[in-house]
Amino acid sequence: MDKIKHLYWRAGFGLSAEEWTERRRWSIPKAVDHLFEAAKKVAPVPPNPAPPAGFEEGDKSQKEAFVEKLKEERRMVAQQGGDWLYRMADPAQSALLERVSLFWHGHFACQTKFSTLASAQVNTLRTHALGSFRELTLAMARDVSMIRFLNNQQNRKDSPNENFARELMELFTIGRGHYTEKDVKEAARAFTGWSSNLRGEFMFRPGQHDYGVKTFMGESGRFDGEDIIARILDKRATSAFITRKVFRYFVNEQVDEDLVAQLAKRYYESDYQMEALLRAIFESDWFYAPQHIGSKIKSPVDLMAGILRKLKINFENDLALVFVQRALGQVLFNPPNVAGWPVGKPWIDNSTLTLRLSLAGHLFNSAEVNLRTKGEPEDLEREKGIKKLQATVDMSSIFRLLEGVRNEQIPEVLADFLLVARPNGFLEALAPHLKSAVSREERIRISTMALMSLPEYQMC
Amino acid sequence: MKRRAFLKSSALASSAFMVPSFLAGFQSNRLLGGQPGKKLVVVQLSGGNDGLNTVVPYRNDLYYQNRPTLALKDSEVLRVSDDLGFNPALQSLRELYDDGLVSILNNVGYPNPDRSHFRSMDIWHSASDSTDYLSTGWIGRYLDTFCEGCDKPYHALEADDGLSLALKGRQRNGFAVSDIPQLKRTTDSQLLKAVSKYGASMPHHEEENVAYLYKVLADTQASAGYLQTQLQTYRSKEAYPQTPFGKDLKQIAELMCADSDVRIYYVSLTGFDTHANQKPQQERLLRQYADGMKAFVQDLKRNNLLDETLIMTFSEFGRRVKQNGSGGSDHGAANNLFLLGASLKKAGFYNAAPDLSQLDDGDLKFDTDFRQIYATILNRWLDADSEAILGQRFATLGFV
Repeated sequence: MDKIKHLYWRAGFGLSAEEWTERRRWSIPKAVDHLFEAAKKVAPVPPNPAPPAGFEEGDKSQKEAFVEKLKEERRMVAQQGGDWLYRMADPAQSALLERVSLFWHGHFACQTKFSTLASAQVNTLRTHALGSFRELTLAMARDVSMIRFLNNQQNRKDSPNENFARELMELFTIGRGHYTEKDVKEAARAFTGWSSNLRGEFMFRPGQHDYGVKTFMGESGRFDGEDIIARILDKRATSAFITRKVFRYFVNEQVDEDLVAQLAKRYYESDYQMEALLRAIFESDWFYAPQHIGSKIKSPVDLMAGILRKLKINFENDLALVFVQRALGQVLFNPPNVAGWPVGKPWIDNSTLTLRLSLAGHLFNSAEVNLRTKGEPEDLEREKGIKKLQATVDMSSIFRLLEGVRNEQIPEVLADFLLVARPNGFLEALAPHLKSAVSREERIRISTMALMSLPEYQMC
Repeated sequence: MKRRAFLKSSALASSAFMVPSFLAGFQSNRLLGGQPGKKLVVVQLSGGNDGLNTVVPYRNDLYYQNRPTLALKDSEVLRVSDDLGFNPALQSLRELYDDGLVSILNNVGYPNPDRSHFRSMDIWHSASDSTDYLSTGWIGRYLDTFCEGCDKPYHALEADDGLSLALKGRQRNGFAVSDIPQLKRTTDSQLLKAVSKYGASMPHHEEENVAYLYKVLADTQASAGYLQTQLQTYRSKEAYPQTPFGKDLKQIAELMCADSDVRIYYVSLTGFDTHANQKPQQERLLRQYADGMKAFVQDLKRNNLLDETLIMTFSEFGRRVKQNGSGGSDHGAANNLFLLGASLKKAGFYNAAPDLSQLDDGDLKFDTDFRQIYATILNRWLDADSEAILGQRFATLGFV
């Protein structure tokens, strides 16, 4: 059962109570097949209604209206981040697809300012998440948020801008040490004219494109962006770079270079099919070795999606989830920079850990949380607001899970359900606190809250 | 990695996981540090403060040509030199300036300036080149290696509910708290106390990351207790602005005057992103800043702490020389930076005023890399090795 929990955490966001009841005794091959099949059945995210004309950043003719529009867009992008969290938590969606899309969102990290662009990007990530990395890379090179974030709008024949070309190689594909400064310059030329229009669509502008001969990684030709991506991905170093990152994210921060080398070979031979790479991981025996199980610190998004999958929580304020994302340091569509979010210990400092460990208490007690978040630099004043995490927690699925379980066994059964790795001795430590429980439901609530307040609950 | 290996390799090795012995180690070890007593206070003006309307080149025609309605008249400015004057909202700062407690560095920036708030702030926090991305900050890396005896997270203390990148290290982090009594109440909750009691009762945690979380929890609880006690030691009588920033400064002053074992304090004032209707907004913030600084310096002076305190005020960038069409200014590049304290070697203006005739795409050019200032503070004030912390050698300056 530890193996099933491990699989569902790394390939998704844990198991809901109903899924736990149904799947805890499934074999690994059956569960893996089921995950990949479910991922093929989902519909795209509905696109946002087209924004009114003039939403383009360059159009500042009506400055005040533009500023207002930006604010509204910022709110809608945050809302879409919330919608995404709910999809990650929703057993009716494909957890695997959401997990892998989230991985690619952190990989092709860019900040999105407009809601149409956010939904377009999510759909690009979902379309290619489990498919070909070649197609995904090309699609992201044409993604409008990416083009704007890395200044490819300004990449023109007569004044090339190298920002996108550099990050494409340094962070998105092959990594440092495998290209020269000359390669960056030549690649930038190949991506000249890859731009966007006022409606927020990709647009190739032939007048800005440099059709001349480029010399890139030892080859010469009239390359365009597509040719450059193809050449970078033909290098085995790219497969190794991506596989190492996949290993750190899906398996363990401590990289096993031998395993990475084997996986990278397989990934390369599949011509960068993500499904092939992930199956090689999830279907292996080593993936289920004890040192990998429960070794990862949940990211803030993992933590929240995991909570929402296990407990039905209705927040009174729609933006409560955004507030928690911000306070814990991971806001969807707003990674800190093009290098994406860090993995592991960097999530943790005194303030984030305190909030993580007291989050269950806040939710169960519908608490007022008096936290001052950093806010946006554009905010006029730093808010020192009381943020209400007022919510109702619906425990009915957990009550059903515990039907027929004797009172004294409740904490143990819950620990199995809630935690990837069981803390020795905690159940004994919990026992005295349960003495005050006046009812069976109270006992379940206290046990759930206590288990979710453990550092072990932060692990997956 | 198993716990044994972890203990050997980790800088955390010095503090045990068991809470009781851990608490026992929480006594002041101020004398262990390289330079006991020297404190750094960093004040961050977030949003990009308009330096040209902070320290005004009131005799420069180009200033008035570029800012027909945004410029401050020469009759308004508080003149401090033949060519530069303070924004009238900086009256309190001017008094400190007249007492020789202020040094101003002009034209501070970095190569290839980035005009995004987030990115430029990251560059200032991580002290990276503008083409590099680091997940640690300059103060965090100082804590990692060069702050002897700084194994307590509160040795670098940020007045906020989230920890800034500047204070994140590889092995050690600074400590973020805006309201110490509230943090104490939170960490004293029945639930968290039970959790840490349980954590301490375990001989060891198999998983290194779990052990780390229990350690951070124990650290946080112990730190909240320590800071709460320190806060009750000294009550400031100065009049601080009645704003979050004023309260932050007051809390810092009270901790400093209680001789707390904190070496670096970090505090922010937000709202400087003045794209429209700039004047009243910036003046309100600058007044808050100056009045806060004056009260803060008075507190330190009264307690004979000003000689051993250096206060640095910066913003992630300045603003364009030319005003925009909404009575404001847009994101720019180089900016001025203030140093306050009683140990400044060169009070007044450290270097020449900005040259408004030599612009870089409409922005002021930098002549001082901000990392030269960090290097100077690290080498000469905090007794550390700036090259190891910043990853490059930067020429130091002579302000301390």
